[in-house]
Amino acid sequence: MSAISELSSISRRKGPATPEEKRANRRDNKAAYIFLLPWLIGLVAITVGPMIMSLYLSFTDYNLLQPPEWVGLDNFTRMLGDARLHNSLRVTFTYVLVGVPLQLAVALLIALVLDKGLRGLPFYRSIFYLPSLLGGSVAVAILWKQIFGTSGLVNQVLAMFGITGPGWISDPSTSLGSIILLHVWTFGSPMIIFLAGLRQIPNMYYEAAEVDGATTLQKFWRITLPMLSPIIFFNLVLQIIGSFQSFTQAFIVSGGNGGPSDSTMFFTLYLYQKGFGQFDMGYASAMAWFLLVIIGAFTAINFIASKYWVFYDD
Amino acid sequence: MPLFSRPASAARRGAAEATSAPAGRRLRRTGAVAAAAAVVLALSACGGGAAPQSADGKVELRFSWWGGDKRAQLTQAAIAAFEAENPNIKIKPEFGDWSGYWDKLATQVAANDAPDIIQMDEKYITEYSSRGALLDLSKYDIDTSKLNEAALNAGKNEDGLTGIPAGINAATILANPAVFKAAGVELPDDSTWTWQDFERISAEVTAKSPKGTYGAAAYGTDEASLGVWLRQNGKSLYTSDGKLGFEPGDIAEWWAFLKELSEKKAVPSASEVVEAEAAPLDQSGLATGKNGLAFWWSNQLPALEKAAGGELQILRFPSKTGTSADAKLWYKASQFWSASSRTKHPEETAKFINFLANNTKAGETLLADRGVYPNSEVRAAIAAKLTPADIKVVKFIDQIKDELGEAPAPPPKGAGAIAEIVKRYTSEVLFNRLSTEEAGKKAVDEMKSAIS
Repeated sequence: MSAISELSSISRRKGPATPEEKRANRRDNKAAYIFLLPWLIGLVAITVGPMIMSLYLSFTDYNLLQPPEWVGLDNFTRMLGDARLHNSLRVTFTYVLVGVPLQLAVALLIALVLDKGLRGLPFYRSIFYLPSLLGGSVAVAILWKQIFGTSGLVNQVLAMFGITGPGWISDPSTSLGSIILLHVWTFGSPMIIFLAGLRQIPNMYYEAAEVDGATTLQKFWRITLPMLSPIIFFNLVLQIIGSFQSFTQAFIVSGGNGGPSDSTMFFTLYLYQKGFGQFDMGYASAMAWFLLVIIGAFTAINFIASKYWVFYDD
Repeated sequence: MPLFSRPASAARRGAAEATSAPAGRRLRRTGAVAAAAAVVLALSACGGGAAPQSADGKVELRFSWWGGDKRAQLTQAAIAAFEAENPNIKIKPEFGDWSGYWDKLATQVAANDAPDIIQMDEKYITEYSSRGALLDLSKYDIDTSKLNEAALNAGKNEDGLTGIPAGINAATILANPAVFKAAGVELPDDSTWTWQDFERISAEVTAKSPKGTYGAAAYGTDEASLGVWLRQNGKSLYTSDGKLGFEPGDIAEWWAFLKELSEKKAVPSASEVVEAEAAPLDQSGLATGKNGLAFWWSNQLPALEKAAGGELQILRFPSKTGTSADAKLWYKASQFWSASSRTKHPEETAKFINFLANNTKAGETLLADRGVYPNSEVRAAIAAKLTPADIKVVKFIDQIKDELGEAPAPPPKGAGAIAEIVKRYTSEVLFNRLSTEEAGKKAVDEMKSAIS
């Protein structure tokens, strides 16, 4: 971070700039833009360009094969009456509202345990981080399918206790739960961030609390949580945004169709099916912008609510 | 981020104290930036693709198909044979699974990057033709005089001849004799069996087999078996003017019988049915010996036999009356050879399609993998080269020649979505989430709007 603080101290230097300094500044700016160019080209060509295109397409009827036709707000009004879309929203909200808090709770719990100064900490940290690297991958989604299949590992273990388990992934009443579990299992990256945050809580607070006879729970509640709240907030924002967009797991586990009976039909999966499976790219683009609005709203609510529970120590 | 690089040890808290105050702010800022970045990323789509290239006077054509390993090997051999005869044309293969194939093709066509030669299915040919994505092949030098007429007609539509049939097949039930033998049950006589026999025999096999093995696979994972059922009841999937050819009650009856099969354990449990849907051909219940009977197209027998590691038997569908003429089977153009309307080399593309359809050398490599050869001369010329499995298929296609029903109406635009609707409501029914009548009504509504 030291390089950045030096930079900020440079920029903060106020006072009337001499013409020479102005020239130098312009030169610096030019250099900066040249260095930025590769990123800027990438941003415009593969992010901003398609975004503007998709905004336009969301007001059109576009079947991929023929030029788009302007239909105004048709796609958006159609969304109001689309029962499968409503179902996909329900699935996605369940996934986000159950999966994210659960995942963060697990991540925090593990981080607290690891923070107790275990021997071989880097090893454990890596082990617990591993699922995060693997969890979003196709290979693990396939593995998940095997583990939670009708005759998969989970049911084989249950059978030892005389329990006949359901087809976790193939039964509509448990399939979404299985995917949420897969999400919770990838708690590694919030855990690492929590761990880093825990390290930054000054020890003197705990020492003072101990002198006053505080219990472990009190220390956690009154010191750890408030001091960690900016980091919890950070993780929350990141995970909510990521979860709304989650696609791979449901796509692979359900074989691409959001089944059984649309029980794992995530919003993004439905969007994909509409756009690429049913030649309805205009509608799919409208859905994408609707998702952006949802994510934007959630993020805004998050930031507003954060004023009431996030504690900044400065 | 310095957070990660700080060494873990007792000293860490002291170091942390010095920086912890601005850390919160910094993190907040990082959070906001990350949030904005993630929002932006939510919408980023794929970029464009590369244009087809030709190097040093050579014409390069892209050829894409769906299918498994066996098909890939055979098709590559056919490409090699063509390239040997036409040193100036290079064919670049692109192939993959059925499920991903259509998403990819739609994207490629939209990006103006369609392959020159496209393996096409009847469910999508109207969609692509009516939107001007396919070349009218009748304008090019392709000999159609020797091709089976019914199959050739299936590739014709308002937009011309947009598909040359690659093979002929029929809807069948394949039997795994090993499963029947282990259960001590006789294989059915397919020239006289009824749906009641199908139910009785399947339930008997399940009862006499180890746990997890079932007499028959469930139908209802695509619309082919629905098509047969409807035809036997005087209805059809589609009408010739591109509408649905049946009522909610018809499909409800079909599901009611499936439920009956499921209750008698003639077919696997609902969960197992859902899992089986996703399995590729070589891990299907029939190939792994978990199903005695299963619904497949005739041309899939050789690949399934290879996967099963044993002989399979090919059977007619049961009928309502027990006479094979009432099974109402038909010859289907298994696949088509189509060309992109935007190909830069239509002549060469047509030349390759002509080679695939009419050249004995192509026939000798492709054999019966895409169904029985529609070209009668090639079919005769390669007869000696066929494997025993291929011969079984050819014989079956020959055998049913005089019992066929009318050729079905071609699937209309939007028909590609029907299979998914059938599959989804089949699981709603099997999991008892909807009654067969409700499912019938909802499914028909959705189908109507898909093909309208």
